[in-house]
Amino acid sequence: MSLAKRIQPPLHPFSAVNTRPVNLHTLRNSAQVYTIEAGTEEIMRMEFIFRAGTVQEKIPLLASGTNMMLTEGSLRHTSEEISRMLDYYGIFLTMIAEKDTAGLVVFFLSKHVEKVLDLVGEILFEPAFPKKELDTLMKKRLRWFLVNRERVQNIAMDKFFESIFGSGHPYGYQVTESDFNGMNPHLLRDFHSRYYRPEEMAVIVSGRIADNTIGLLGEKFGCLTTGVKIVEKSQASLKNDPVRKVSIEKPGAVQSAIRIGSATINKRHPDYPGLKVLNVILGGYFGSRLMHNIREEKGYTYGIHSLVTSLDLSGFKVISTEVGKDKTSLAVDEIYKEIRLLQQKPVGDAELEVVRNYMSGDMVRMFDGPFALAESFKSVWEFGLDTAYFNVLAEKIKTITPDEIMHLANTYYKIEELYEVIAG
Amino acid sequence: MINFESFRLSNGLRVLVHEDRSTPLAAMNILYDVGSRDEDPELTGLAHLFEHLMFGGTVNIPEYDLPLQMAGGENNAFTNNDITNYYLTVPADNIETGFWLESDRMDELDFSQRNLDVQKNVVIEEFNQRYLNQPYGDALLLLRPLAYKVHPYRWSAIGRDISHVRGANLQDIRDFFFSHYAPNNAIISFAGNVSTDMVRILSEKWFGPVPFRNIAARDLPVEPARIAVDTLTVERPVPSDALYKAWNICPRMSDDFYVMDLLTDLLSGGESGRLHVKLVREKNIFSEINAFLSSDIDPGLMILTGKLMAGIRIEDAENAVNEVISELQDELPDQNELEKVKNRFESSTVLMNTGILHKAMNLSFYELLGDASLINTEIDRYRATTGKMVQEAAAKYLVPCNCSTLYYLSSKRNQA
Repeated sequence: MSLAKRIQPPLHPFSAVNTRPVNLHTLRNSAQVYTIEAGTEEIMRMEFIFRAGTVQEKIPLLASGTNMMLTEGSLRHTSEEISRMLDYYGIFLTMIAEKDTAGLVVFFLSKHVEKVLDLVGEILFEPAFPKKELDTLMKKRLRWFLVNRERVQNIAMDKFFESIFGSGHPYGYQVTESDFNGMNPHLLRDFHSRYYRPEEMAVIVSGRIADNTIGLLGEKFGCLTTGVKIVEKSQASLKNDPVRKVSIEKPGAVQSAIRIGSATINKRHPDYPGLKVLNVILGGYFGSRLMHNIREEKGYTYGIHSLVTSLDLSGFKVISTEVGKDKTSLAVDEIYKEIRLLQQKPVGDAELEVVRNYMSGDMVRMFDGPFALAESFKSVWEFGLDTAYFNVLAEKIKTITPDEIMHLANTYYKIEELYEVIAG
Repeated sequence: MINFESFRLSNGLRVLVHEDRSTPLAAMNILYDVGSRDEDPELTGLAHLFEHLMFGGTVNIPEYDLPLQMAGGENNAFTNNDITNYYLTVPADNIETGFWLESDRMDELDFSQRNLDVQKNVVIEEFNQRYLNQPYGDALLLLRPLAYKVHPYRWSAIGRDISHVRGANLQDIRDFFFSHYAPNNAIISFAGNVSTDMVRILSEKWFGPVPFRNIAARDLPVEPARIAVDTLTVERPVPSDALYKAWNICPRMSDDFYVMDLLTDLLSGGESGRLHVKLVREKNIFSEINAFLSSDIDPGLMILTGKLMAGIRIEDAENAVNEVISELQDELPDQNELEKVKNRFESSTVLMNTGILHKAMNLSFYELLGDASLINTEIDRYRATTGKMVQEAAAKYLVPCNCSTLYYLSSKRNQA
């Protein structure tokens, strides 16, 4: 029998949405614990989340500084003792400070759950903010900052955020060298007491969850309270820059970093799932229009990607690439050309079929295993949504029409409203 | 515990299967036993360039990615000094598309001049992006030729000189393919919602007809023992001075490897690693410092990288590093500390085994090392390591004449 080597084996339909049940347990102090049971190994992931992201800070570095200082010594242990205990139990801990939320995530063998909760409790709610450690941290971070500032990717991205969100808002403003001198333990303590409130904590637990986990969480965190909440209305507002094209010279650079995009709708908007599909066609997978044209046809770059992301107060879309300096304007022209094409000509059925299948497969990967499940859940929970969002997205992937895509491209990718930042 | 079964086709292709019914997906990993160590010294970077060309289509299937995306799949690949590794994940019911695509490109590529020209540019931009246009990006490229004088590990996978990639022609590419790409030079692993029986049937169907090819036995120059300290100083427009050191150590499959791996973790595993505690936290000499093993199959390196705090002289920084190293030779590590690094290994091993892709990759790699069951038993090797073994390994490998040093100085340091 000779093989039909040119013909793809038959494809089978598969279900894109494979979410597991998420159970909510409310602790006595009203902290919320979400559990997702999944996985084959005796391992757990726990993420502790607070509304303590940069959006809450009055001066740059306050949110990330507070977050990073939590492991730098507690009322009971020095930073070195804390890290030695974490390492001894094979607990992998990452501190997280993002634009909207902050907290930490831990991975560990399920049998160590009690030790983990003891340590995490100490880290989150008993920080000492020692002055010496803070000074060291800031000096260290200044060195990292200076290195990062040498990268055209970072220069372009920081400027892009400043352009689309404004230099007066934490989503947009850029960190400068002098900000590293502006921290003191008092500021951090104040930020911590306002925003790391145990009553407002959310915990996402996933993996092979040890039997006593909920009981232990209740015991260790359920009675923690901090009293009256100080509510302050943020003064800052999002305000985009009138200047839409910026070029930043970086002497000695061999490549330019290009960022093109703008602020946009977020996950709460009904058009968002459709915008996700449009984004994939444009630059969201290896077979995308941009990748095909600018890497695979022309060889201008190692990679080009487009992205649509949600924030609490906004969202943004951005096309990112690094190209040889002499190819910069050619690449920029091609990017606009691809956007215009999506605005003027309906996507063909064959291409749309590939995108539908690719995205459905991608959704399967989003729910594969305990860690992916937890991340997917967080990505909707953060916006006050639930896993029903994924059903809406899956349905949109299946049913979106070429006309709808063209309409979205005309609504959300108006060329005259896009920002263009080039560093190199 | 990762259960797996394995079999071999008559053309020499080795296949391993791990069933994991908890996922709707299947992962497929194909390891080719060819890396940059197999390159002609005058034509380096070819293994990696070739990896790019593998996505350029064949006579039968003009585009690799498209049918896989139609099947809901995703894929990627990497090349290092030892291996070229391709992998994909796909909803399990569509795994046959993986067999179809991978067997077809193992059989023969469509060697087109156009594809070669484009991918040369892509690789050159990759080189620019990763190595030239990044602060400290070229440091490890500079360190290799200090550490190796004759062994092909003296260049990295991107190549010894990017002009080699620029100059590669279609004949070079064709020769490379027929010298290294063959069923008898590959190991395929599956992990996920698949059965061994099904994989066996599909392997026979798709890979069975791919012909066995004669692959020349590997005959690489052996790196002689080092007799002198080797150093290099460069100046670059970076914000801080940096220190890079490399010690020549043992091959991946030697008993010493596990000891050195634990030793590296004592130095640099987690925030409580000695280098971080002493040199970042206590003395504020470095803003960051790390040590890691290259984990190459042939005798590899222990590499140390550190960025200095402002105002610290590089000689003082180096002395401080040497003091930490000397301690390993002078004193036995305390039981608690040793237990800590062993626990970290155990925990990270279990963590890695939560994903089907990692499991598939590891099965192929351990099979290449000679024993796929190492995926379950390697932890015992770590557990059996004693403090005395660590001390002896430190005395054996971490000596000055076995060390290469790169002083990576900031040309701006006087302005800061």
